[in-house]
Amino acid sequence: MSPPLNQEESQALEIARKCVASKLTSSVLPGDVDDLVETGVLDSMGWVDTLICIESATSIRDFGNPWPDDRTKSIGALADMIREVQKQAVQEKAGELRRAGTQGELEISIEGWGYTLGSLVVNAEQIERDMALPLHRIRDGAGIQSVRVAADDEDELALGQSAADIALEMAEVPVERIDFLVATSTTVLGFPSFAASLHSRLLLRETSGALDVGGACAGLIYSLAVAKSLLRTRPQGVALVVASEVHSRRLSAPQVPGEFRGLFGDGACAFILINAANTVQNGCVRLQEFVWGCSGTFASSLGIKISENGGLSIQFRGEQLAHAAVTELDRIIGALENLSAKPRSEVEYFALHQPNPRVVEILAEKAKIPLERIPLVSKACGNLGSVTCGASLCQALTSLRMSGDHSRTPLIFMAAVAPGLLWGGAFLN
Amino acid sequence: MGPGFCVIGVERVGEDSFRSVRPVPPRENAWRNTFRYRRGSVVQFDPAPTSAARPHIEDQITRGLSSRGGCLTEVELVDFLRRAEISVGLDGLFECELHTDTSGGNAWVAPDSAARSICGCQYKNVRFRVFEDPGRVRLRAKLVLPSGETLNSLPVVDREWRNLLYAFMKEHSNPRVPSDFESFLNRSIRPQLMKAPHGFARIGLARAKPNEEKCWLMLDSLFPQPNVSWLSSP
Repeated sequence: MSPPLNQEESQALEIARKCVASKLTSSVLPGDVDDLVETGVLDSMGWVDTLICIESATSIRDFGNPWPDDRTKSIGALADMIREVQKQAVQEKAGELRRAGTQGELEISIEGWGYTLGSLVVNAEQIERDMALPLHRIRDGAGIQSVRVAADDEDELALGQSAADIALEMAEVPVERIDFLVATSTTVLGFPSFAASLHSRLLLRETSGALDVGGACAGLIYSLAVAKSLLRTRPQGVALVVASEVHSRRLSAPQVPGEFRGLFGDGACAFILINAANTVQNGCVRLQEFVWGCSGTFASSLGIKISENGGLSIQFRGEQLAHAAVTELDRIIGALENLSAKPRSEVEYFALHQPNPRVVEILAEKAKIPLERIPLVSKACGNLGSVTCGASLCQALTSLRMSGDHSRTPLIFMAAVAPGLLWGGAFLN
Repeated sequence: MGPGFCVIGVERVGEDSFRSVRPVPPRENAWRNTFRYRRGSVVQFDPAPTSAARPHIEDQITRGLSSRGGCLTEVELVDFLRRAEISVGLDGLFECELHTDTSGGNAWVAPDSAARSICGCQYKNVRFRVFEDPGRVRLRAKLVLPSGETLNSLPVVDREWRNLLYAFMKEHSNPRVPSDFESFLNRSIRPQLMKAPHGFARIGLARAKPNEEKCWLMLDSLFPQPNVSWLSSP
């Protein structure tokens, strides 16, 4: 008589039996030691399906692939392998947590990044003509030379997918390794939500999570903060953060003022975050601390509501909003100086939200930061909403990588403001 | 399925519409290795009386096939396939309930419920998985349809894709072949598929096994078609 099974053994056996049973044409379950393929109970297609079923039930990636030559293909062998892999995972996780405990807080690095823009280029004169704006309002008033607009076959999902593909490729991370998708988009309304739709579009594992984060133009910074927090719960995990906006369709309603609509472009950005201890690449930038808040004083400078007839109603006080943006962005930079204990003069790049290039110029002057340290996205692309500071960060990270100097630790400040006036910032080094 | 080639083509049924037809030799469901034509070949068949059973209503017993000359390019072929049976979502593929409660595995339909056994679709994303099985390697694909719905773990039965796998295995004889090939497909080949303007898939239904009232889905064709020269690309 065989000894009684412990709880882990019983559970593993139960999973193996269930998965094999789901592939059988008859209701008679073979014995636990019978070789399922040699006895003809399962063909090789059925065997692969069984492995996938167990993978799905246990979240063990690549379960049994390849299957060791010296093992039978039996229910008992499947259960043994489930227990072995689970035991190994528990030991690895415990070791990881112990290391994290002795080293302090987990450090999260940005392992890959990428951004994509709407493929159509519309210059300032065209915008002014299309929206019946006074001549030079967009080019000289806002400082925008052109905006990038999504083509007919591009939407938030397509742009987000493209940006994610670039980031995954750079990080050399297979899509099956993503544990969390944190996504933000102001222009996607309805359900399934953007994160859920993007999860399917990217063919992420069914057992990886997907979460939408709001925050409009500050949405990316909040998403990075959420992703970092989630990774603390899973030190071996990988998070994908995506922001995507297609303003050209959402703001195309006739009641949206041209001087507002004309500022915006379409695009997406993506970042791969992992525990810095697991990084394989040199010179990766670590995501450090965050600041955030909401300044109601400026709440009325920009308001967007969906009216009862489904149209958009927009309250836009351009000058007040520009003033509020400059004031708050400067304040965030000050807060980040305190948090990082580094003066702004030591900051290599400022990845900022850019309502328009003119606001950036005013901010640079007020905040006493060299304009060339702000990777300028909005001049050629327009205001990309939550994507703006992400695209700016991508440009900064790429410049740092291209410089090839891994001997020093670059410091980057991120800052963004959004209607509310919601604000957020982060520093990276 | 079974040994041999499952061959399917399209025939014109209206000015701008086509339907799929599957010429089968008498008393068999597949053509043996003597099949002389290739994908895109324009052929004429000599039909014999057929009582096709659901869901393989496209079956047409054929006394013989003869060449009508010429062969469509891949782009032309996809253009014709797009004007045959096509669906943007799972419901429309076989116009019946699709059973996807298979724990992350493939989907199936009840034979009597399906209105057909082949359907085309655009895909918004595709990824591959390779499973090692002693003596053989299995290729599976995941697809995202325009509706946003996904098809997981479709067995790839497309001959050209399988030939690519065999060619890869021949060139690389180390134990990591399955994971290397999976990585090669997803990192080097997938971007080419995603960029191609004629990206298209044809999903078919396998014949139900005896005592199993299930027709499993399979990936019959995936365009662009692979080329063995891809293996030598950097």
